[in-house]
Amino acid sequence: MSEIVQYLMSGLTAGAIYAVIALGYTLLYNATELVNFAQGEFVMLGSLGLFTFLSVLGWPLWAAFPAVTLVVGLLGVVLERLAIRPVKKPEPITLIIITVGASIFLRGLAMLLWGKDPHSVPGFAAAAPIRVLGAAIMPQSLWILAVVGLLMGGLHLFSKHTLTGKAMEACAIHRSGAWILGIPSDRMAQLAFAMSAALGGIGGIIISPITMAGYDMGTMLGLKGFCAAMLGGLGSHWGAVVGGLLLGVLESLGVGFFSSGIKDAIAFLLLLAILMARPSGLLGPKAVTRF
Amino acid sequence: MTGKRRLWATTAFAGAIAVASMAVSNAYHQQLLTVIGIHTLLALGLNMLMGYAGQISLGHAAFYGLGAYGTGILTTHYGWSPWAAFPLVLVAAGAVAYVIGRPTLKLSGYYLAMGTLGLGIIGHVIFREWDSMTGGASGMVGIPPLQVGGTVLSLGRSGMILVWVVVLMAFFFCDRLVDSRIGRALRALGDSQGAAAACGVDTGRLKAVIFSFSAVLTALAGFLYAHLVGFISPSSFDFLMSIRMVTMVVIGGMASIYGSLFGASVITLLPEWLHVFSDYEMMVYGLVLMLVMIFLPQGLTRGVLDALEGVKSES
Amino acid sequence: MADRTILHIDGVSKAFGGVQALYRVGFRVAKGHIQAVIGPNGAGKTTLFNVITGATCPDEGRIVLEGMEIQGRPMHELVARGIARTFQNVELFASLTVLENVLVGRHVRTRCGLVGAMVRWPWVEREERGARDAAMELLGFVGLEEVAHKMSGDLPFGWQRLVEIARALASDPRLLLLDEPAAGLNAVETAALADLIQKIRSRGITVVLVEHDMNLTMDISDRIVVLDRGRKLAEGTPREIQADEAVMEAYLGRKG
Repeated sequence: MSEIVQYLMSGLTAGAIYAVIALGYTLLYNATELVNFAQGEFVMLGSLGLFTFLSVLGWPLWAAFPAVTLVVGLLGVVLERLAIRPVKKPEPITLIIITVGASIFLRGLAMLLWGKDPHSVPGFAAAAPIRVLGAAIMPQSLWILAVVGLLMGGLHLFSKHTLTGKAMEACAIHRSGAWILGIPSDRMAQLAFAMSAALGGIGGIIISPITMAGYDMGTMLGLKGFCAAMLGGLGSHWGAVVGGLLLGVLESLGVGFFSSGIKDAIAFLLLLAILMARPSGLLGPKAVTRF
Repeated sequence: MTGKRRLWATTAFAGAIAVASMAVSNAYHQQLLTVIGIHTLLALGLNMLMGYAGQISLGHAAFYGLGAYGTGILTTHYGWSPWAAFPLVLVAAGAVAYVIGRPTLKLSGYYLAMGTLGLGIIGHVIFREWDSMTGGASGMVGIPPLQVGGTVLSLGRSGMILVWVVVLMAFFFCDRLVDSRIGRALRALGDSQGAAAACGVDTGRLKAVIFSFSAVLTALAGFLYAHLVGFISPSSFDFLMSIRMVTMVVIGGMASIYGSLFGASVITLLPEWLHVFSDYEMMVYGLVLMLVMIFLPQGLTRGVLDALEGVKSES
Repeated sequence: MADRTILHIDGVSKAFGGVQALYRVGFRVAKGHIQAVIGPNGAGKTTLFNVITGATCPDEGRIVLEGMEIQGRPMHELVARGIARTFQNVELFASLTVLENVLVGRHVRTRCGLVGAMVRWPWVEREERGARDAAMELLGFVGLEEVAHKMSGDLPFGWQRLVEIARALASDPRLLLLDEPAAGLNAVETAALADLIQKIRSRGITVVLVEHDMNLTMDISDRIVVLDRGRKLAEGTPREIQADEAVMEAYLGRKG
């Protein structure tokens, strides 16, 4: 019993992080129909950024958290301005190559700046685990779940109750239609890039005390976030969360009951299974653009 | 390309190989040329997918590794002859690609890219973790060299000739492929997917077929690599290798068969000439990919050639 | 009548969001006829066209081609069954020559695969020669033999449209659907097109055209279906349609 609680808890923790990354994909996809292959690198930058602000510059957490989020969000804007907007014919293959290029550029840069070895980042609160039903729960897990819960609530309010949020949804439904109605789709794309990068950065911030921060952590987390987004249905906010948590729990159970070697394979096998059986995901709309 | 021009190009290329195989006697240069040849096969394989189907794989290193580890395991652990392993690893690569390609290629380009990105990572994990078969992180040694008749083909002059004869054949056959019913359908697909479908082309299936073909060519390169070098380790088949392949295609130019040779040469020679390169390798690839795709989406060679032609026709 | 029907549209509806693009539209196309579908913008012509060619699946209703239900079938299968189409805005493959464009149209009547293309067995060479002969014959049919080896993007628009028709004919269709074939053509070209469509019919091919140009449709059509706001407004011979007050009022009258 206590074992299962333990697995569930660590699964939910990891899953919450996948969910944040997945939300980043979803937000961007909704506003621009683009899948950003550099999303994982924003996660990496969030982690390493937090390390720098906390351990090198000695900032307190309450200041470092928003500062890193802001910096990573700005990087998202820079990426959009410099690498995405100048593209004349935005076909998927072109955008994929560009964002992949951005991804490994950022990774190479991070390797130069922070070195090849991972850095450890202190937890957000006391390190003593809390005992619940015989399972040891790290305070960091509670922090992560709380942050993700707040983010979800905030995003929900943003997209349903603010003009900008509604405009963004409109862009997602019909781009040129939204443009005709006077919604500046360029600015929307930029905002979506900023928010999606910031979400990735937050994912990196909250995960860093658990996994350490290293220049090469991004690809795997990016892939898992995408898998979570697909699982829930690319384009659906709640789908991203459900997909993330589901992936996290499945992974953690897989590691618990089989072996830790298959952990990374689970996400990939799930991704393939979804692509084959139901590309629109569990909660997504039925129609997925063929072609 | 018409039959006559194809014949000329092939003959000229064969002549160049013959001359080079006699003229180059320095062991280092022979090795370098061998690697360029193998990389050309990789670039050509991926270019058939990227240039003609307009799709991208971010995990082609997995097929490269499948070819290398497949034959490595069969020949060292099970005592197979390389020539018996040869068809098996190629078919395996084609089959894996088809299974992944068939469902994902019906969807927009992002899905194959993500699917193959995952495949590449899993492939690398398997090569690294499956100690009993692959030798784990330290790799596999003692893969036997290829033999034809009584001649051993190893790294050096004979290996170099072997690789380049294979490259020559690959060019020849790919060129024929492009100029055929399948090739026309592929090029049509690149121009307008809707119109190709309206002409009766089963676009999803065709893309899966060309993806398989591309995987087979890549596995062939892996097969040659394993038997020529005799030693393989997971680091040769990681994510960065997949990115190297994409960069070769982007430099050589999309849908340009002979451009593959150029792209492969640049990516092979750059680290040889610039020893500090390895620290900056990722940043340089990243910049090249971004800049070329923003400014010359047809690829570097094609872009430059088109620009020159534009200047010529204007003057 | 039933045995002479090649295409039966039976109660077809299609909605996009809240817009009812087609509502229970039904009519028959007789073998060997030239049938026109007309209507003002937004009448549902293009949707009807897409539903017949398999580009979209209808919400309800059947589409029967020679006794077989075909709604929701993939496009390439429909082409193999004998439906060919052209596009309103002409969609040639710009990186292919004119001849190669027509050869792509031959795709479903040839079968050389990946291996065959590389090895070039004798049967592949024969098939390729046969396809080239057929394609050249069709280019001759539309009068463009001389430009066979030009890049298709370099041709004037009117010629591109003819190449597209040749490409559609290359699949040996029994039913040819033309989407506004006269759009963008001048009067001389339109008259030549009318001749060409009649020549196509005399090859035994049934033609369905969606058209704006009233002169063309009235001149060459055997029957006309009029759509308005997703519904069938009228159906009959050109003369009946011209005499139909509802049509005159709703369509021609409104247009001025």
